[in-house]
Amino acid sequence: MTEFTNFRHNPGLDPAVHVWGWEIPVYLFLGGLVAGLMIIAGVRLMIMRPTARQALVCCTIGPLAGLALLSSGMLALFLDLTNKVNVWRLYLTFEPTSPMSWGSWILLLVYPALLANALTHLPEAIPALAKRVPAFVKISDYILARPRFVVGIGLANIAIGVALGIYTGLLLGTLGARPLWNSAVLGPLFLFSGLSTAAALLHGILVLSTPDNERPEFADFLLSMLTRWSEAKPLDIRIAPTLAQADNSFLTIELALIGLLLIGHLTSTAAHQAAAHLLLNGPYAAVFWVFVIGLGILMPLFLQHLELRHRIRHTIAPSLLVLCGGLVLRFVLVAAGQASHWTTALH
Amino acid sequence: MMAPFFKYGLFGDEVSLIVAFVTGIGFGFFLERAGFGNARLLAAQFYFRDLRVLKVMFTAIVTAMVGLFVLARIGLVDLSLVYLTPTFLVPQIVGGLILGAGFIVGGYCPGTSCVSAAIGRVDGMVFLAGMIGGLVGFAEIYPHIAAFAHSTPMGQLTLAQLFHIPYGVLVFAVVVMALGAFVAAEWAEMKIGGKQPDAGSLLAPTARLTPVRRFAVALLAIGLVAAFAGNPYRGPFARIDARQLALDAGSPADQVAAGQLADWLIAGRNDFLLVDVRDAAAFAQYHIPAALNVPLANLAADFASRNERIVVYGEGGTAAAQAWMLLRSLGYPAVHLLAGGLEEWKATVLFPKAPAADAPPIEQIEFARRSAMAKYFGGTPQCTGASAPTAPELPKLLPPPAAAPGATPVAQRKKKEGC
Amino acid sequence: MSASTETPPPAKPHMNPYWAGFGLGLVLLSAFVVMGRGLGASGAFTTALATTVHAVAPAHAEGNAFYREYLGDGTTNPLKDWLVFEVLGVFVGGFLSGALANRLRLTIEKGPRISTLGRLVLAFLGGALMGIGAKLALGCTSGQALTGGALLNVGSWAFMLCVFGGAYGLAWFLRREWL
Repeated sequence: MTEFTNFRHNPGLDPAVHVWGWEIPVYLFLGGLVAGLMIIAGVRLMIMRPTARQALVCCTIGPLAGLALLSSGMLALFLDLTNKVNVWRLYLTFEPTSPMSWGSWILLLVYPALLANALTHLPEAIPALAKRVPAFVKISDYILARPRFVVGIGLANIAIGVALGIYTGLLLGTLGARPLWNSAVLGPLFLFSGLSTAAALLHGILVLSTPDNERPEFADFLLSMLTRWSEAKPLDIRIAPTLAQADNSFLTIELALIGLLLIGHLTSTAAHQAAAHLLLNGPYAAVFWVFVIGLGILMPLFLQHLELRHRIRHTIAPSLLVLCGGLVLRFVLVAAGQASHWTTALH
Repeated sequence: MMAPFFKYGLFGDEVSLIVAFVTGIGFGFFLERAGFGNARLLAAQFYFRDLRVLKVMFTAIVTAMVGLFVLARIGLVDLSLVYLTPTFLVPQIVGGLILGAGFIVGGYCPGTSCVSAAIGRVDGMVFLAGMIGGLVGFAEIYPHIAAFAHSTPMGQLTLAQLFHIPYGVLVFAVVVMALGAFVAAEWAEMKIGGKQPDAGSLLAPTARLTPVRRFAVALLAIGLVAAFAGNPYRGPFARIDARQLALDAGSPADQVAAGQLADWLIAGRNDFLLVDVRDAAAFAQYHIPAALNVPLANLAADFASRNERIVVYGEGGTAAAQAWMLLRSLGYPAVHLLAGGLEEWKATVLFPKAPAADAPPIEQIEFARRSAMAKYFGGTPQCTGASAPTAPELPKLLPPPAAAPGATPVAQRKKKEGC
Repeated sequence: MSASTETPPPAKPHMNPYWAGFGLGLVLLSAFVVMGRGLGASGAFTTALATTVHAVAPAHAEGNAFYREYLGDGTTNPLKDWLVFEVLGVFVGGFLSGALANRLRLTIEKGPRISTLGRLVLAFLGGALMGIGAKLALGCTSGQALTGGALLNVGSWAFMLCVFGGAYGLAWFLRREWL
C-alpha cells in the first residue's frame, strides 16, 4: 500500500488507486474489533478494580482474543503491502502529520497494553497454561497487588483503544482523493462499529459457554473438550445482559453516525452527493441496506431488545449478525469509497 | 395506473433487491406463523389429521387473486405487466408429481424448508442440502431432457383464456371452490383426524358471525361482484384518449429528425430506446446502429419498460406512424418517431448531397459537418458529379464478434424472471 | 441470570391457518403490486449453485445450458438476484417468527416410529426429488402453486393438482415416517 495524501487533480490516477482487495477491509474490521475489546476490557477493569483473580469474559477472554485477532489483522495488512521488506522503515521515524505513521506507532502500543490486561487474569482463564508456566501466576500477583497499576492498565487500554478505533476510520478519511471517505464522521463511526462488534463477540462467547439443556450433544462435546484442555472455570455470565444492553447502545450510535455521514454528504458538493447515492440507491445500495443496516444493525437491535425484555432466549444469532454486519460495513465503505470520484459529478 | 411500480420504473434493480429482502421477511414470517417450519404438521395434510397446508395455501391464493382483481379492475395495477410463467403442460404435470413425491418423502417444499432450517430443524437443513444435490443432478442430465422440459408449450395462458370464461367469473368460482374445500377440510379433520372445530374455524359450534366467517363472507361478496365486473386485463382492446392522441399526432414535438438522432448516437446518449419495426430480414440487411428489432406485429408484447423513451422507425414514415399509434395506445407515454424513416436517414445522414459549387459558404460548411457524420456511420457523402450515382452502397454491418476460442460467451440475456 | 439458564417458555401455538393464509396472501399481493412478479424459492438455490459451480469450474458452468440460464449476462454479480435476496429474507422472517413464538430449537421433526438417521436420509431424498421436480415444473410450491395460482395460470393449476396428487398417492407408503 502506498500512502496518498494528495488530492485528486489527475483523473488518470483512478485506475491505479482501485486496487484494495479483501485485506484492507478485514484489517479495518479486526482493528476496530480489537479497539472495542480494549475499551471494554479497560472499562471493566476500572470499574471492578480487582484484587483477586476472576474468570471474566471482558478482561481475560477479550484481551486474549484481541491479541490473536490483531495479529491476524496485521498479517492481512502485511499481505497488502507492496514492499514487504521495507516494513521496518515505518518505525525509524515519527511523522506527526501522517496517519500511517500514527497507525504504526499505535499498533506498537496496542500489544503491551492488551498483553498486560490479559496477563492480569490469565491464570484464571487458562489454568492449564499457568500450571506449566508459574511465571504467569507471579506476574498476575504482581499486578493485582498494586491497585494503581491496575488502574493504569485500564486507562491505557481505554486510551489506546479509542485511538486505534478512530485511527481505522481516519485512515480512510485522510485519503482526500475519495469523496465518500472525505468525512470526519468516519473515525467515530468505525470506533462505535468496533465497540458494537466487540460487545457482540463477548456476548456470543458468554451465550456459548452458558449451560443449555437444549443444545445438541455435539456442541456440548466440543465445548467440554475446550474447557477440559484449558481447565477453565465457567465464566461469570451475570454480565451478559449488560453486554447486550451496551451492544444495543453502540449499535444505535453507529446507526446515527451512518445517518450523519450520509446527511453530511448529501448536503455537500455534487461529488459528495454522488458518493452518498452509491450507498443509498446506487450499485452498493442492496448490500448496504440489507446486510449493513438490516441484518447488521436493525435485526440484532431488535433481537437483543427482545432478549433483554425476556421475550426470547439468548442466542448467538445477534452476535453473529453484528460481527458480519461490521465486516460488511468495512467492505462496502472501502469498495464504494474506491468507486466514488470527484469527477463523477461532472458527467 | 402506475403499478406494478417496478415495471413503471419507480425504482431500479438495486432497490428492487431491498424490496425482495423485505418481501421475503414477510413471506418467511407468515410461513413460520402458519407452522410450516414443522414437517410433521405439513405431512399431517396427507393423512387428513390437520389440513393446514390446504387452508393456508388457498386462503393466500384467494386473497391475492381477489385483491389483484380489484386493484386491476379499478385501474391501479396493469395486470398484463405482472409476470406470468409460461405453461409447458406435460413437463409441469410430471414435475408436479415428482415434487409431490418429494413433499411427502422429505416433508417440506423449498420455501418451507428455508423456514424450518431458520428455526433450527436439522431435517430442514438436510432437506435443503438434498435439494442442492437434486439441482446438481438435474443440471447434469439437463442437456438430455431439455427437449422434454420444453415440450407442449402453451405460452402465457390463464385458465380464463383456456376455458373462454370471463376472468371475473373464474375468480368467483375459485373463491366458492376454496370456501367449499375449507368446509370439507374441517369436516374431514373432524371425522378422520378426530379434531373438534375451534372458535377460529368455519364450522365453529356457534351461530355467531366469527371473524373468520366474516372474512369468508367478505371474500364471497367481492368474488360475486368480480363475476360481473368484467375483464381486469387491459387486453388487446386498448382504451385510448382519442382527443389527446389526435393532439399529439398533430404536433411535430414527438418527431425526431434524422440529423438529430445521429447527433444523439454520436454523443453516446443512452436515455432512449431505438426500435426498428421492420421485419427481421430487412433488419439483418441494414439498421441504424444500436437499434432493437421489434417487428410491427410483435409490438403488443411488453418489450420495454413503460417509462422508457422510445424512438421508432420503419422504412418510410408509415410503419413508424403505425407503431407510434400502437405504442401510445398500449400505454407507453414517451414515443417518438424518426421523421421520414430510414429513407430520410439514408438521404440526410448516410449519403448527404454536396451543394452546388457556387453555394454560399455556410452550406459548404454544413456539408463538411454532414460528411464527417456520414463517415461516422459508414456512409459516403455524394458529390455532385456529372453522372447521377447509382444506388449508393449501404454500409456493411459488422459481423457479430466471433467467440474467442476457449471462452464461451456468457448468456447474452438478462436472467429470467420466474422461479 | 440470563434467560437461557431458565427453562425456556413453552412454544406458542401456531396461528389460525386462515389468518396466516390471509397474511401470506397480502405479502404475495404486495409483491404483485410493487414488483409485478410473485414469490419464489427454488430459483434462489439454483442461482447460488450456478454461481458456485461457475466459481469452481467456469468452463463447465458456461458449457451447461442449465447453469448458463442462471448466470445472467455477466454484467452484474449473479447473486444480486431478486429471488436470492427474497429467500434471504425468508430465513430472517422465519427466524423472527420462530423466536417470537419460542420455537427456536435444534431438533428433528419426525414421527415416533422412524429412526433419526432414517428421517434424515428421507429428508435428503425428498429434497433431491424436490429440486428435480421444481426445475422441471419451472417453479416450486411458492413460485408456481402460490403465485401462479393467484394469477389463474394454467400450468400452475395443473402443477398444483399434481403436487397434491403425488403426495396423497405416496402418503400411505410413508406413514411410518410421520404417524
